Amino acid sequence: MKRSQYIDLDKMRKAKPKTLSFRPLTLAIASITLAACSQPDEEVKIVASVDDCKANTSLTLEQCEVAYKQALEEAVRTGPRYGSQRQCEEDFGYDQCVRPQSSGFFMPMFTGFMIGNMLSNRSYTYNPVYQYRNSGSYRNRLMTADGTVVGMPGKRSYHVPPSTLKPKPKVTRTVSRGGFGSVASAKSSWGGGKSKGWGG
Amino acid sequence: MLRIPIAERPQWQQKAEEFGFEFHTMYGEIYWDETAYYQFTLEQIEKGIEEPTEDIHQMCLAVVEKVVNDEALMRRFCLPEAQWDFIRQSWRNGDPSLYSRLDFAYSGNGDAKLYENNADTPTSVYETGFWQWLWLQDNVDTGKLPAHTDQFNCLQEKLVNRFKEIKYLTPDRILHFSCCKDTPEDRGTVQYLEDCANEAGINTDFVYIDDIGRDEHGNFSDMDDHVINSMFKLYPWEFMMQETFSESLGKNNIRWLEPPWKSILSNKALLPMLWKMFPNHPNLLPAFFEDELHLASGVDSMVKKPIFSREGSNISFIGKNADIEASSGPYGEEGFIYQATHMLPKFGDSYTLIGSWLVDNQAAGISIREDRNPITQDMSRFLPHVIV
Repeated sequence: MKRSQYIDLDKMRKAKPKTLSFRPLTLAIASITLAACSQPDEEVKIVASVDDCKANTSLTLEQCEVAYKQALEEAVRTGPRYGSQRQCEEDFGYDQCVRPQSSGFFMPMFTGFMIGNMLSNRSYTYNPVYQYRNSGSYRNRLMTADGTVVGMPGKRSYHVPPSTLKPKPKVTRTVSRGGFGSVASAKSSWGGGKSKGWGG
Repeated sequence: MLRIPIAERPQWQQKAEEFGFEFHTMYGEIYWDETAYYQFTLEQIEKGIEEPTEDIHQMCLAVVEKVVNDEALMRRFCLPEAQWDFIRQSWRNGDPSLYSRLDFAYSGNGDAKLYENNADTPTSVYETGFWQWLWLQDNVDTGKLPAHTDQFNCLQEKLVNRFKEIKYLTPDRILHFSCCKDTPEDRGTVQYLEDCANEAGINTDFVYIDDIGRDEHGNFSDMDDHVINSMFKLYPWEFMMQETFSESLGKNNIRWLEPPWKSILSNKALLPMLWKMFPNHPNLLPAFFEDELHLASGVDSMVKKPIFSREGSNISFIGKNADIEASSGPYGEEGFIYQATHMLPKFGDSYTLIGSWLVDNQAAGISIREDRNPITQDMSRFLPHVIV
């Protein structure tokens, strides 16, 4: 056989265009698309401090300290960033935002960090968790740095998609856009814009 | 190799919509055409197309090895000097490639002749890998074609497997896909490749080329300010390398698909280089640089092609066939190369071009384009094929 043996047609069908989810600046709310994820959820606990971690998970004090430190590093690396304190506080509440040393942006403080189920021995990241304060349907929800909604605070444990336990993409502060694409736009005036694209 | 008329599948347009194939008809003209198909024998496919495709790919890699080590050649290929290290480094690192498409003139008899190598931004991958596959499946299911009918098309399977290898090479990176705004075909192509990457278990995201941002350290970012560290771009390297953000290329830690060294292969200067390094190879046409046309004595008709061009733009005939109308377009400022004329085979009223796909270094299937003009262009019709 000289052709692909099998193609899963259900996967090739395109659903109706997804409605754009609400995005507070850099923070994308991703719960809607993740709900459709076929991978089984992981059970996690969310702890507010090293002490909380020690008291309520199977981790030792040393492990909890490592987890906290990692969550802190992840928060600096991947946490939501805002151009002003006011914008940040709009999303995360009064006095909940800090400016990291010698940086030009504001980040919310994380309210806790996620400890995965120790029985699954895959490696994961101790990701920070934030509490979203802005009004709307996500008010008071806990979420990860990329906007995945975890749930309302106060539960003993949460079920989250496995991806929430992976490191999040590094977030930066973009200073300019539009540095690519100029040659195509210069050439596209030719042919009355009837070109199908820039592939070949 | 035969062209055989066949009834269209009833309501195939509806099916196209269901599967998100939106560009089957463009500007009121048919692009996907299933009123006929091409039929090949297994030998025509394997000896006529598959073997030459893999051979030529190896020859092309030999050209890259030669060019990256020779500044005069880098200059001849019109690659901007500021990007030489970027290109060389990607080659020396062995940065993986995803796919390419070689275009051939082939009539079913004799040797397939290479027209060019779409090594950087090949399109029509969805129509090939999925849509013509589905066309065969439907026609076999409804008994219109015999059950043993086959097709040279394992493109989708190979793409998914290649993405699995790429995932292994760059674990935990989110692969950003990108193309220009307002290009429905390119957007469709990129979506398809993104689907293949997802199937391979790669986490993906999308950002338009025009929207890519840059931070103060020279990292590129998407619209959510996420740093890009792995990117598939359906946008020509020769464009990117002359645009503002090119000054950051090679200085930020990004794994590119296609890798920068592909800029040597998507370049028409490849054709005279191949002819120099592998003279008289049965699948090559004599080809020459503009300042070496004295080597072309005895060639009475040539095609003039811009060093950089896409989709058959700015091509003209000189010599014996100079009466054939040239194609227009926005390319050619970097100069031209000359390739001996070898007309496309004609089936009825149509000139027929074969695109032969490679995933990494393996032949992966073919696509067929038809046009009433001897120069096929971006609006040339796409027809399915079978092996019997």
